Amino acid sequence: MFSFVARRLAVAIPTLLILIVVSFVLMYAAPGGPFNSERPLPPAVLANIEAKYGLDQPFWKQIVNYVASVVTQFDFGPSFQYKDRSVNDVIAQGFPVTLTYGFWSFVVAVTIGVSLGVAAAIKHNTWLDYLAVGISIGAQVLPNFVMAPILLLIFTLWLGWLPGGGWNGGQWPYLIMPVIALSTSYMASIARITRSSMLEVLNANFIRTARAKGLPMRRVIWKHAMKPAMLPVLSYLGPAFVGMITGSVIIDVFFSTGGIGQFFVNSAFNRDYSVIMGITILVGALTIFFNLVVDILYAWIDPKIRY
Amino acid sequence: MTLKNRLLATSAAILIAATGTVHANGHATHPLTGETLASDQTFTYRVGDESPSYDPGLVEDVDGADVVRDLFEGLMNQDAAGNLIPGVATGYTVSDDKLVYTFTLRDNAKWSNGDPVTAGDFVYAWRRAASPELASPYSWYIELMSIENASAVIAGDMDPSELGVTAIDDTTLEVRLSQPLPYFAQMVTHGTTFPVHQATVEAHGSDWMKPGNIVSNGAYVLTEFVPQERLVRERNPMYWNNDATILEKVVKLVVADENVALTRYLAGELDMTDVPAGQFPRLSTQYPNQAVSVPQACSYYYMFNLRDNAPAELQNPDVRKALSLAIDRDIIVDAVLAGGQKPAYTFTHWATAGFETPDIPMASMTQDARNAMAQELLAQAGYGSDNPLSIDLLYNTSEAHKSVALAVSQMWKQTLGVETTLSNQEWQTFLEARGTGDYAVARGGWCADYNEASTFLDLMQSESGYNDSKYLNPEVDALLAEAKTSNNPQPLYDRVEEFIAQDTPIIPIYHYAAVDMFAEDLKGWPTENFEQNWYSRNLYKVAE
Repeated sequence: MFSFVARRLAVAIPTLLILIVVSFVLMYAAPGGPFNSERPLPPAVLANIEAKYGLDQPFWKQIVNYVASVVTQFDFGPSFQYKDRSVNDVIAQGFPVTLTYGFWSFVVAVTIGVSLGVAAAIKHNTWLDYLAVGISIGAQVLPNFVMAPILLLIFTLWLGWLPGGGWNGGQWPYLIMPVIALSTSYMASIARITRSSMLEVLNANFIRTARAKGLPMRRVIWKHAMKPAMLPVLSYLGPAFVGMITGSVIIDVFFSTGGIGQFFVNSAFNRDYSVIMGITILVGALTIFFNLVVDILYAWIDPKIRY
Repeated sequence: MTLKNRLLATSAAILIAATGTVHANGHATHPLTGETLASDQTFTYRVGDESPSYDPGLVEDVDGADVVRDLFEGLMNQDAAGNLIPGVATGYTVSDDKLVYTFTLRDNAKWSNGDPVTAGDFVYAWRRAASPELASPYSWYIELMSIENASAVIAGDMDPSELGVTAIDDTTLEVRLSQPLPYFAQMVTHGTTFPVHQATVEAHGSDWMKPGNIVSNGAYVLTEFVPQERLVRERNPMYWNNDATILEKVVKLVVADENVALTRYLAGELDMTDVPAGQFPRLSTQYPNQAVSVPQACSYYYMFNLRDNAPAELQNPDVRKALSLAIDRDIIVDAVLAGGQKPAYTFTHWATAGFETPDIPMASMTQDARNAMAQELLAQAGYGSDNPLSIDLLYNTSEAHKSVALAVSQMWKQTLGVETTLSNQEWQTFLEARGTGDYAVARGGWCADYNEASTFLDLMQSESGYNDSKYLNPEVDALLAEAKTSNNPQPLYDRVEEFIAQDTPIIPIYHYAAVDMFAEDLKGWPTENFEQNWYSRNLYKVAE
């Protein structure tokens, strides 16, 4: 197991480096630049700015300098768009916000999704099953950019129960709508995967054996069926978790949460090179890390899997 | 509240600010209008995106400038109608050759830490704004002000200390210009010219603007700042005219989606927000006292590519003029935009200070007459049903630009039989295409940097970096050069506008209007200020 983890981490480093170089090249290949605007800057002004941000250097040197400062000092450079902040500032401010609502969305999505899926599988082809499938399909087809304004209309304008947006340090009234809007479609996917996987497991021979030896249904489900049924769910949860905690631009746009999703999308529009790179690396590193976590959990859940 | 009441209230607030004798703070009624003031004097408003910076030397956008005007105070301010009124300076004198401005500073202006605001603070701030070291994207503003040696300082050929600005003593600031500039005094109301506190900047570097570090001299101080979420500013007790300030706290929220912002406004969370595109007719009927449309200092136009590589058919001025004539601006402003915009036949916005819209023949014609003339011009140029003209029209991705482009292409099709291919590009790609001349007809929008016609017309100058049409006309250049030093530039501007109408390098389509929702208890908004320069200290809330 240890050598497996070490091997994976060793592969992660070149993967990240390739990610950096490819993103860097793609970013520079896109037309425009961080200091283009409707009123083009006079050449002398542009030259000053490019010198300040090192954009006057040859391309290869920019990549080398960038990688060096990231690796040696963990410094992602200054933001080109937000003149008096660094990328580290942007991430330090936006990421905890995203992490908070992303984490709670994950908890909600997993709890409700797995419960619905298991209930539907146990009560296969009954009204409970149809209801669960109905809910999850409904949740799946209702995109969050439609749901967010509807939630706002109901809870903020009509009922006046919840603030219509903002973050305020993450107090719970500000969390509710973002969590509902973000978790719904994940919850639906988790429910469907859980249901089909659980159905398959319940028809397996070892479950029949367990029931034949007289175990109560509850014990069969929890002790024997749950773990194997969770394997496909788990492979979905790794990327889903990264997706949730690295933010959703929809949530940030509709609920003004100030999370990292909006910074990410804006940075692409503004050609804020350093912020694009910083967040890309963050998301890349998290994806690699949680895929590793999922693989380790696999081995723990399924004794057949050995690394 | 009617517009008249709001204006009255605004002038009242200004009057107090000017005299400083009435103590409004703590009173339950407004000292001049007698209106009962609300106990909670908090103003919350919406912006669509975070500003790049609130540092006076770096600020570059309108939302950022609004904040800077509250946190800092420059030499001069604007009143509700946009006229110059004293700020940190009580006044100024101009030398006979109009090259030297001498500002006299009030001796009671203080920084939020109690230090006096001196002429040296302005000298430091202006040198800093121009310095290659700060590399401000707005350093060109110092150059635009024609301050002596500005270009050389920005280019790094001279030390910032050579910039033409000197503190004669603590309360006397001398500014030397490289050429006379009739609107120079107007330009010192912009954030780039506001003072910064040298000791604070030097102590904290790029962190000096953060709450806790910042020292400022405006009516408000920065107390909370969460980028992309909120920015809070509160009354500055050290401000020299603090007694006249009524509003205690101003909260700026970033709400990216304008429809969400409207929902939150209607739920009472915001006191002010933009009216989403196309919703003004409905909202002004439903909330007649809240939905307000006022002129905004921008012009919307289409530009023709006049470079050699551009499509040959558009090099014929008659063809361009025909295309301009065939656009029914009234339909665009009344049916497509419906937000109080005005049809444009001149590039300069109709509400620009000191500008009388000249008589452009096209403006007084009926649309039928325009259409007839357009058909005739196009036929003469050799285009008709057997040889239809086809055009590529490029705009930056946006629903509003798309609806205008669709309407225009329909008008061209119906009146002239022109086949238009619409294409849209994401903003940065669009700017690149337009700047390098990779288009035939492209959308343009230009907003005034200062309230004078040359802010628009200078784009028609051959050398202008913003002349994306590459319209080259030596006569226009000569007129614009003459206008720079003329005491009465209006006739010169008239002739430039006539050239634009005749040569049609661009098609002016409409002049912008700002459409906003204002809470009924919010008073003092300067709706008459063409540049929409507002100061929170002139606003107040009345008890409902």
